[in-house]
Formats: sequence, C-alpha cells, structure tokens
Amino acid sequence: MAAEDARYRQSTQYKLWSFSPAQLSATREKTNALAKATISERLLSRPPPAASAPTSGSNTPNPSSQMQGAGDLPEFLTPAEELRLLNHYTAELLRASDFLQYSVAIRATSAIFFRRFYVANSIMTYPPTEMLKTCLFFGNKVNGVYLHAEQFAANFPKTTAEGILAGEFLLCQGLRFAFDVKHPYRALEAAMFELERYGDVDLTRLGTASKTARDILKFSPLMTDAYFHYTPSQIMLAALSLADEELYDRVVRETFHLAHTPAFPNAPPQSRKAAAAAEEKSRLLGPEMRDKVRAAIASCRSMLAQEPPARMTGYWGTPAQTDAVKPSLRKLRKCRDPDRFDLVALHKARREQALRNGDADDEDGRVPAGSSLDGDDDAAVFGNVEERDAKRRKVKKGLEDPFGGPL
Amino acid sequence: MPPKATLAPGHVPPGDSNDMCPVCRTNRYFNKDLRFLINPDCYHPMCSNCVDRIFTDAPAQCPYAGCHKTLRKKGFRQPFFDDLSIEREWDIRKRVASVFNKTQDDFETLRDYNEYLNQVEDLTFDLVFSPDEKRRAKAERTLKEYEEDHKAEIEMSRLAGKAADEATKKRIAAEQAAARERRREAALQAEEERIRRLQEREEALDELAAAPEGLAGKVMLKRREKKPMPNPDRDIPMRDNTSSAVPSDDANTSSAKPFFAGLKQKPKPAKAEGPYDVFAGGDFVPDRYKLQKQVPKPPYKKDVARDPHYTTGGYDVRDYYVQAMYEAFAGLGVFVDDEKEMSGRLGLDSAEVASMAAGLAAAETTASGFGFGEMGLGQTKNVINYL
Repeated sequence: MAAEDARYRQSTQYKLWSFSPAQLSATREKTNALAKATISERLLSRPPPAASAPTSGSNTPNPSSQMQGAGDLPEFLTPAEELRLLNHYTAELLRASDFLQYSVAIRATSAIFFRRFYVANSIMTYPPTEMLKTCLFFGNKVNGVYLHAEQFAANFPKTTAEGILAGEFLLCQGLRFAFDVKHPYRALEAAMFELERYGDVDLTRLGTASKTARDILKFSPLMTDAYFHYTPSQIMLAALSLADEELYDRVVRETFHLAHTPAFPNAPPQSRKAAAAAEEKSRLLGPEMRDKVRAAIASCRSMLAQEPPARMTGYWGTPAQTDAVKPSLRKLRKCRDPDRFDLVALHKARREQALRNGDADDEDGRVPAGSSLDGDDDAAVFGNVEERDAKRRKVKKGLEDPFGGPL
Repeated sequence: MPPKATLAPGHVPPGDSNDMCPVCRTNRYFNKDLRFLINPDCYHPMCSNCVDRIFTDAPAQCPYAGCHKTLRKKGFRQPFFDDLSIEREWDIRKRVASVFNKTQDDFETLRDYNEYLNQVEDLTFDLVFSPDEKRRAKAERTLKEYEEDHKAEIEMSRLAGKAADEATKKRIAAEQAAARERRREAALQAEEERIRRLQEREEALDELAAAPEGLAGKVMLKRREKKPMPNPDRDIPMRDNTSSAVPSDDANTSSAKPFFAGLKQKPKPAKAEGPYDVFAGGDFVPDRYKLQKQVPKPPYKKDVARDPHYTTGGYDVRDYYVQAMYEAFAGLGVFVDDEKEMSGRLGLDSAEVASMAAGLAAAETTASGFGFGEMGLGQTKNVINYL
C-alpha cells in the first residue's frame, strides 16, 4: 500500500463518508423508510389542525379529507424523488454561493456538507431550504471565515440569524463532526505542475485543460455522489480526462511507469529483501495497478459526465427544471415532519429541555444546607456517592454513542 | 608436571641466595634484616638495600648480568614462595584466572566446562613452562586478545564472582551466628534444667520430712507419677537455618562470541524502545511521485512566494507544493467500492446509521441544543481533524 493511500485511509472522508454505490443507495432507502414510518406515526398521533387552508392539487390527497379521516396519510417522497430534490437544492446552494462570491473551497465544502447531511437524514424530516443556508454559513466557518450570523442572514430573504444557527449543531451531528472535506482543486494544480515538469507539453494547452477541468470540478462532483465513491485524486483525474484525455493519459502513464518485473525465486537471501521491495514498488507503480486505477477513474468520469458544468444554469429557474421538481416539492409540503420541520422551534425546545435538565442536575448536586460539613468532607466536595454513580452512568451512556442519540 | 629442565627465564635456583644478596654480596651475617625483593618482570632477587640504592631515583636496568629489563622500584615486592619459579607460576595463574573467570554455571554441560578448563590450563602451561619462545608469545597474545575482546564479560563475571563470594561469606556468618544462638539456648536450657532438679530435690526432701513415719516409699512413688514428662517442644529447639537468606549466586550475564564451545546463551537485556513515534509507523515518503527541488510557481495572481503579506506569517510555497502533490496522488489506489463492500461496513456502522438515520425514533433527544451557537465555533478550524 502506498504511503499516500495509507494516509488517505486515515481521513474521516474515507472512514466515515465513503460508500460503495450499493451501500449509499441502501442507506438512502433506509433513511427514507425510517422517515416515512416516524412521520406517519407523528401525523397520526397529533390531533388534526382545526383549520388548514386547502391547497389545490389533483394528485395529492385532499387535505380536507385527511382532516376528516385521521387515518389518511399523505403520499411520501420516494428515495428517487428525494435524490432529485437533493440535487435541486444542492444547485440552489451553489447558486447562493456564487451569488455571495464565496471561494471555491467554501462553496464545495458547503455543498458536500449538505449532501452528507441528507444521507442519513431525510429531506422530509429537516427543511432543506434552512439546512442549505446553515451549510453555507458553517462551510465558511470551517474554512476559517467567520461571518456574523446577522449579516449572513441579511443576504437571504425571510431569513434570520436564529434560523441559521438553529440548524448548526444539528448539522454538526449529522456530519458526525467530521468537518474536513478533501477537495480535488489543489490536486489539479499539482497535476499541472507534473505535466509542466515533463517539459514537452504545450503550456497554453495546459492552461485550457486546467481551466476546463476546474470548471468541471466546481460543479460535476458536487452535484453527483462522486465524493462518496471516489477519492479526490481520482475525481481530479477524471475531470482532467474529461477536459483533455491525452494529458490525463500522460499523467497516468508517467505515474505508473514501472514495467512488471518478476522476482527471482533463487535470488540470494541478501538481495531477497531488496527484491521484495522492488516487487512491492512494481506492484504499486506497475501496469496492473494502472489498469485498476484507470477503471476507477473511468467510472468516475462517466459519473461526472452526467452532470457537466453546462447543466449548471439548467438547474436555475428553467421551466424544464421547475416542472421536474414541482410535483416533488408539492408532495414535500404535505409529508414533512410536523415536529422537526420548524428548526427554530425545535432548537428552542431542545434548548429548554437541556436547560431544564441542567437545572435539575444542579439541584440534585447541591448539598443540603443543614448537612454537617465536618462529618463527611468528601460528600461535601464531590456530592454523595449515589449522585456520583448516577452521573457516571450518564457519562457512560454517552460514551457508548459518542455522537449522541438520534437527531 | 613441568619438566625441571625447561624452567622459564628468571629462574634462580634456591640456595645460598637466601643468605647473600647476589648484587651487593651482603650476607645475613652483616645484616640481620636482610630482605630479598623481586620484580615480577624478571624475578631476580636482590636485597632491599640494593633496590633502594639502584631504583630510588629512576627506573634502571636490572643489575643481573645479561638481564636487560628496565625495572621500577614500584614493581618490587617480597616473594611469597622461596622457590621463585613457583612465585612466577603463581603470578601467571592469578593473571590467567582473572581473565578466564568463567564458572560452571556459564556452560551448558559439565563436559563443555571441562573442555574450557582444559583449554585454559593448556594456555597457562604454555605461558609458564613452555621452552618455546614462540609458543609463549602466542599464548600471551591469545590472553591479551581475549582480555581485549571480552572486557565487559570478564568484568561481569568478576562482579558476579565477587557477589558469590560475599554471599558465601554471608552464609557462613549466618551459619555461625545460628550455631552460636543454638549453643546459647542449649546452655540456658541446661541451666534451667539444673535449677529445676535442685528445686525438685528440695521439695522432695521437704515432703519426706513432713511425711509420717514409714510412708517415705509411698511418697516417693507418688512424686514420680506427678513428675511431668519432658516437653518435646522445649527440648528440640532446632532451627532450620538452611533457609536463611543466602542469595543464590545468580549467573553472571555475558553474551560471548563463541570463543569457548557450549557457553550458555544468556538472555539479552531488553532493548530500549526507540523514541516515541508520533505517526505510529506512518510513512511520509511518497511512493508515486518525487518532490522536485525547484518549487513550481503556484497559479495565483499574487506572488505568494515573495509577498511579505504571506511570507511574514510563515507561509512557505514549498509546503503548498508538498501538500498539493500529496493531494494529487493520495488515494489513487484506494478503491472505495471494493474496499467498503469488502469490509461489509458502511462508513458509519449500519446500526449507528439506523439510530441516527432521519433521527425520528425518539421524541426527546439527549443532544443539548446549545454550545454551538455563535460562540462555539470560533476555534473550529483549529479543532478540525487535519487528516
């Protein structure tokens, strides 16, 4: 295993946020099913609203009928629809980021945060429009740009700082506190260095290829699941191959340049170690590895090709796009989680609950005023044993699930 | 046994040399305190007056005719044996024994040990009695070489031997002390016994005196019955002294080159662990690319390599270059599809996903809602896992 790969395998991007396509779609389906189950439970258990403005819609179930028969449930989004909405909102996020002229890293980080959050959380559960802004805000923070929440909120209509901060901790939990996203942009620059180093590549051609590849990287991998399935270097090379196939070929050939050399079985023992090292080297940089890498990049390339940068404008306000997402949006309005969709209220409720718990803890921990301090100093300082045990149990429970309970 | 004819140089036949100094011809008749001294360089005896006279000022040649050794006063001493050839052998044996100071514990088998002893004895014999100058020189060289090569080992052995000697001494002292104690106790006991007997006798006499006439025999019989049996506990106060703290001479540690066959392999002292490795064996030498000495110019409008806005804060283009190259090639050989499928484990544990997924199961949550407001993330960037 190459040293670089070993290092990459240590990253949270690999450990927590890399899936095979099958795993990712299975997770999304599971998320969707869970959301359906819980939302329907919530809708059934809560009393029907006294008056709701009936909305038109021939396909969707009539809200008035839903009101009368409490057993009626709205039609839920399918995983495919969720994915379409996710892409729609990711495009919205990119548009917002471009409008606010954020740097490439912030833009990409926010988008990836957004996509990661909705792997294990359904769009029906938490409002994507709100999370989108929170992601942008938090993406800034992660990249070392500290904005005022108020000023940031002022960029958007009908948005308050409270609304943006409400989802922040939720987002962190959803991201499993893995804030580092590895992007392919700097890698592309390094690839250009390498191509330059070879000495026989036309520099203007390099410039064009670099620009095209960068444009691709700025859109295609963010709109697809490339970040989940491929490593940044693979994504970079895939983009490069889309921009200029020959240059990509050159890089791969130069990198995996070793011909396969069979080890001599009868080699004297002194050289056997060196031979093993050479064998390992040739395995790392040999033709077999090259073909494997090529295959991975080719599949990444076909994924990126589905969302070429030319489609970017297509996501924004074109009639076709609107028509495509409109039914899903209409559905979403019906089937969202009644308890969770209002992030501000949810945040407030959780805060209050936490405060209440904290108060309760304080009262428990306090030593009764009349207790004699001289008799039991330890108890005075540390609280009595039972309380401590209770606290320990609490801490222990927390440790089993370091990321906290369900969101 | 050494043949008499092959006595080593320096041998002076014993005889009248005891009575007359061969250097100054003084004899015991004139000087009652005549003391003969020898120097282990050549073993020529001379009287203490001669030594003072010749060697006090500076080292000088041996006054014996034909002996060209330069001697110092410091080296003179009184011989232990009359026969100076024995004196010399004794010296040599002492020296050899201090170098070849292995014990039987150092060897796997008794046979090996005996081989070793034989070898040493051969060498000693060559040194002491060999008529052949070459053989003597060779033996001398062997001894010196061995001493050079096995300094640490010899020292260890010596220390161990010393420790063993001390242990033996201690053991003997302990045994003696125990014997003394035993004797003292026995004496005490005997004394007690004597006093008891005396008392008994007096009591018996008193009783007899008080007894009515004619019943003396009965009284005596009664007394004999009453007499307590000797107490076995008291009578045998033997103590087990064998277990007294006598440290067994633990084998000296030495790792020898196979100078002798059959040496025991001593456990090597545990190697100290190297310095703490922050990266836990991680490797930062790239496999897929080579970093160039010449750092390429980053594709930025500003000249970040020279702009003091950047360089003052410690920005180094080389770091950027290293990082960029790493990012370009890291993970090229990581095939997420295969690896994640193979491990059968999602990035998140599937159970974890279920518990967090959509997070709808429970109405209440343990996650406290604050802490990550505006104030919480000031340091986020610093906290981020850099990997």
